[in-house]
Amino acid sequence: MPAKSSSKPFTKEEELLLQDFSRNVSTKSSALFYGNAFIVSAIPIWLFWRIHMIDVFASLLPFVLVTLISTYLIAIAYRNTKFTLKHKIAVKREDAVTWELNKKLSEDKKMSKKEKDERILWKKNEVADFEATTFSIFYNNALYLAIVIFASFYLLRGFTPAVNYIFSVGTTAGLLALLSTGSK
Amino acid sequence: MSVTKLHFLVLFAFVSSGLCSSCTNPQVTSKSFTTQDATIVTNIAYISEFNLKCSSGSVSHLYADVDGIIVPVSEIAPNNYQVSWTEEIKTARRGDVTLRLFDEDGYTTLRKAIRAGEDLSAVSPLFTVTINHPGAFTGPWLKSEFLAAALAFVVAYLALSSRSKLLS
Repeated sequence: MPAKSSSKPFTKEEELLLQDFSRNVSTKSSALFYGNAFIVSAIPIWLFWRIHMIDVFASLLPFVLVTLISTYLIAIAYRNTKFTLKHKIAVKREDAVTWELNKKLSEDKKMSKKEKDERILWKKNEVADFEATTFSIFYNNALYLAIVIFASFYLLRGFTPAVNYIFSVGTTAGLLALLSTGSK
Repeated sequence: MSVTKLHFLVLFAFVSSGLCSSCTNPQVTSKSFTTQDATIVTNIAYISEFNLKCSSGSVSHLYADVDGIIVPVSEIAPNNYQVSWTEEIKTARRGDVTLRLFDEDGYTTLRKAIRAGEDLSAVSPLFTVTINHPGAFTGPWLKSEFLAAALAFVVAYLALSSRSKLLS
């Protein structure tokens, strides 16, 4: 098989680098995103059940379907927002991370310059990843909450609660997923 | 109403008022009710219930003047009377509403004044009753959904501004 023989397997460093710059997220991050997206998508059920007086059992199917769709869309929004933000944050936090690590490692005379740089790079990546993940969750949750409340109480006030639920939650999640694909 | 019928009524009124002597020195104790919670109703109800004691004489029928509208007063028990009406929530009067009450004689005078287009307040009532309506609760000043939306927008604004700060 020529294709396989011509492509060398990636080294560990390359794999790490690819992972750092790819849109894919780690399993742990993915679980965090999906878990959060599910919680946030399920919260409007309470709003529509207790405040809009929707019958939970009669509209169980829309509730489940919309929650699942919304979970998926918000997870996409989380991921895209994180991807857009990560490198910006990495650049912003670079100096601080370098300064802190240099101070920490200055006593260690044995460590080579290359290893120090690697450690700084790794730390920078970790900091940016964490900040981007948490900020992405906060940002999307805040927007989701605001749009759902506004849509359900003001824009779709005249519709029946079931229609109101499907449209306010469904379109909000879709809108967030769409907005997250933009880079600005 | 034909003229003969009217004449007959006037005559009847005179005869009936002559038959039973009118109430003198009326002593009135009243209690009232008005709608306080207007969140689930469309009109404000005003109800006044009063007990009437005359030094001498009695009344057969009572009429109340509610701002130019004459309504009959119902007798719910001997010497106990009740008058009630409703008003739109938006135009419902607040504070003291004074009811002017008339007996048969007063009512006749009142009808005459209405026919002649005269000022009704010139006709002196038998007695007056006051209803106090402190105003009805029409819901909170700030609706909770508005508060929730405003708070959510503040948080969303914080999120958007910090995002633009990060992306700048």
